[in-house]
Amino acid sequence: MNKSTHFDRDDPQEKKIHYSGLYFKFIGLTLVCSLVPLLLVGWAINIHYKRFAVSRMTDSFQTLVDYHRRIIESFLQERCSRLRLISETHSRDILTQRANLFRVFEIMNREYGSLTDLGVIDDHGKHLAYVGPYDLMDKNYSEALWFGQVMEKGIYISDMFSGFREVPHFVIAVTRAENEETWILRATIDTDAFRSLVEDVRIGKTGEVYLINQEGIFQTNPRFSGQIMENAPFPAGPIHEGIRVYVSKSDTKETQQPFPGKIVATLWLDEPRWMLVVMQEYSEAFNEVNRANVAILVFLHLSAATILIVTILITRYMIKLIRKRDTQADRLNRQLMQAGKLAAVGELSAGVAHEINNPLAIVLTERQILLDSAEQTPDLDDRFRRQLTHSLNQMDLQIHRCKRITQNLLRFSRRTKPSIETVDLNNFIIEVIELVEREAKTSGIRFLSDLEERLPLLLSDPSQLQQVFLNMITNAIDAHDGKPYGIIHISTQSDDQNQGVRVLIADTGSGISSEYIAKVFDPFFTTKPAGKGTGLGLSICYSSIKQLGGDITVKSHEGKGTEFTIFLPYRPPLNPNESMPEGHESVGLGKS
Amino acid sequence: MKGSRILLVDDETVFTENMTRLLTTRGYLVTATDNGEAALRILGEKDFDVIVLDLKMPGMDGITTLKEIGKLGLFAQTLILTGHGSIDTALEAIKLGAYDYLTKPCEIDDLVNKIEGAWGKKNEEKNKDTQEKIQKVVESPSSVFDLFPKRKG
Repeated sequence: MNKSTHFDRDDPQEKKIHYSGLYFKFIGLTLVCSLVPLLLVGWAINIHYKRFAVSRMTDSFQTLVDYHRRIIESFLQERCSRLRLISETHSRDILTQRANLFRVFEIMNREYGSLTDLGVIDDHGKHLAYVGPYDLMDKNYSEALWFGQVMEKGIYISDMFSGFREVPHFVIAVTRAENEETWILRATIDTDAFRSLVEDVRIGKTGEVYLINQEGIFQTNPRFSGQIMENAPFPAGPIHEGIRVYVSKSDTKETQQPFPGKIVATLWLDEPRWMLVVMQEYSEAFNEVNRANVAILVFLHLSAATILIVTILITRYMIKLIRKRDTQADRLNRQLMQAGKLAAVGELSAGVAHEINNPLAIVLTERQILLDSAEQTPDLDDRFRRQLTHSLNQMDLQIHRCKRITQNLLRFSRRTKPSIETVDLNNFIIEVIELVEREAKTSGIRFLSDLEERLPLLLSDPSQLQQVFLNMITNAIDAHDGKPYGIIHISTQSDDQNQGVRVLIADTGSGISSEYIAKVFDPFFTTKPAGKGTGLGLSICYSSIKQLGGDITVKSHEGKGTEFTIFLPYRPPLNPNESMPEGHESVGLGKS
Repeated sequence: MKGSRILLVDDETVFTENMTRLLTTRGYLVTATDNGEAALRILGEKDFDVIVLDLKMPGMDGITTLKEIGKLGLFAQTLILTGHGSIDTALEAIKLGAYDYLTKPCEIDDLVNKIEGAWGKKNEEKNKDTQEKIQKVVESPSSVFDLFPKRKG
């Protein structure tokens, strides 16, 4: 048998487990159906938003890098163009005259600033003219790297170097071919103006922009990472085309990540080959995203908690409701089963009683014939006559016992409509007590009555009520079998709320064991020895009370006594059959 | 009353045989039959004082038999004797004109008492009827002819 579907409804432990299982199933199902979609949607939104944010941030960094590239390149191009313009518009002879060179130097510095010195160098690397703070006229640059580069490319921009003044600066040199001779115009650029272009850029609290050369040496002062001319904390790496953006969420030192915990955009300039780096801490760059994430997480947790609480409350309510319905259904089922049993037994009883009554009638006539014959035969042996008389008397006794049983059976199945009259229940009970008091006294039993004064009159069937109370009281007396004395307490009280009267019949008898308590109203259920009870008394009481629109319940403590509570409405239902299934009205007197 | 004529109608033949014997011993003239149709036929042929009728019989049941007996307009009183405990049916039988009822198994003395009662009732009704007829003749002498069956024309 499948325990989950067919549990024993009478076992409270099983019931508890069943409802507890149901409770957790409901909660589980509701949570799966509500929380899983919520979490999926939340997760999807989160992923999508993060991707969108990364994409936006990458675009933003690309734009930033591109913007700074243009500024830097236009600065350098402008310087290059000016030098080229000077070299193209002035002959070597003019510029090698120091006064002319000085004038050019002065004009350029006056207009644009930023020139530290200016010199003209021939194709052997020898200074032809020089204007500047140093004495460099004897210097020969033929072995210098920049000299070879500028002679080869026509233009050259050097990396930063400290030079004699120990001040970072760089050199721009351009060549001019004149009369089959090549000479060089070389200018040293003051880096303050240039560096301010890069160093003054502020991106949030953690952002920085700088340049490094191919050897990984800072070409501008980074905001946090070090000093100009120092080695950058990471190698410049191979030259790449276009802008590269690295996003690294984790700030742990992962070997695969060159910039852990940062968003970094890099770009190699064409000339000079410097790498423009724009970087910002990931946490700052994605601060808004993180905030949004936290908001989403808070929202999700709040929603989940709300759903959880609502689910628990609703489930509790539903389980309570189901429990209540189950209890009602159980009660109804038990009543229906009881009524069904009574109906079936009623039908059976009527048939059996009839079938037994006829042979009994014949036996009785046979007995009578024997009796008549014995009377008409005077010369019978005395001993035989005594035996015959004894046997015939015993037959009579047993036939009447059978008749009593069949009469009870027939009463049980009798279909009589109740005859409704006004009943003073208190007087009625006193009369019934008087009827049985003599029998009770011989058994050492006393009656205590606690009858409510001014108890409303009932509309009920006195004959059925008499049978019921006689049965109940006789049963109560019988329950003291084996006890030297006892008390039967009978009380009445009105129950205006339910429009009826309650009669309590409590005895101090042997009680009913919990094993039998559910069966006491079953027909033919008796614990009395054979011949003492038919097991119909309480069944008859039950069906009578039900027919009169009332109810009867029992409580018992084994060894201490039993208490029956009978509820009778002030007025019986209009259609008495409503309270009982068809064919189940009965009155009768018997002992259960 | 000794010599009363009893018609016993019951499908339990052993019961009717025994009862016939017991009642005969007690001075009654008993005729027994086991079904309603036969009872009606016998009633058409002979006069009886008391009819003891079982309710539950194969063929024509006790109630139908009782109704048919009613149609005969007899003075004989019907006593219902039933093994079935249906008091409602017994009460219905009384409404239909039965004198009284007894449930099986019953003591012979109880049955005799009831038979005596029924016999008394029959006599009472018969006397009453006779008185009424005499009264009618006194009041209207010509009505004396009504007492005799008219010759069919």
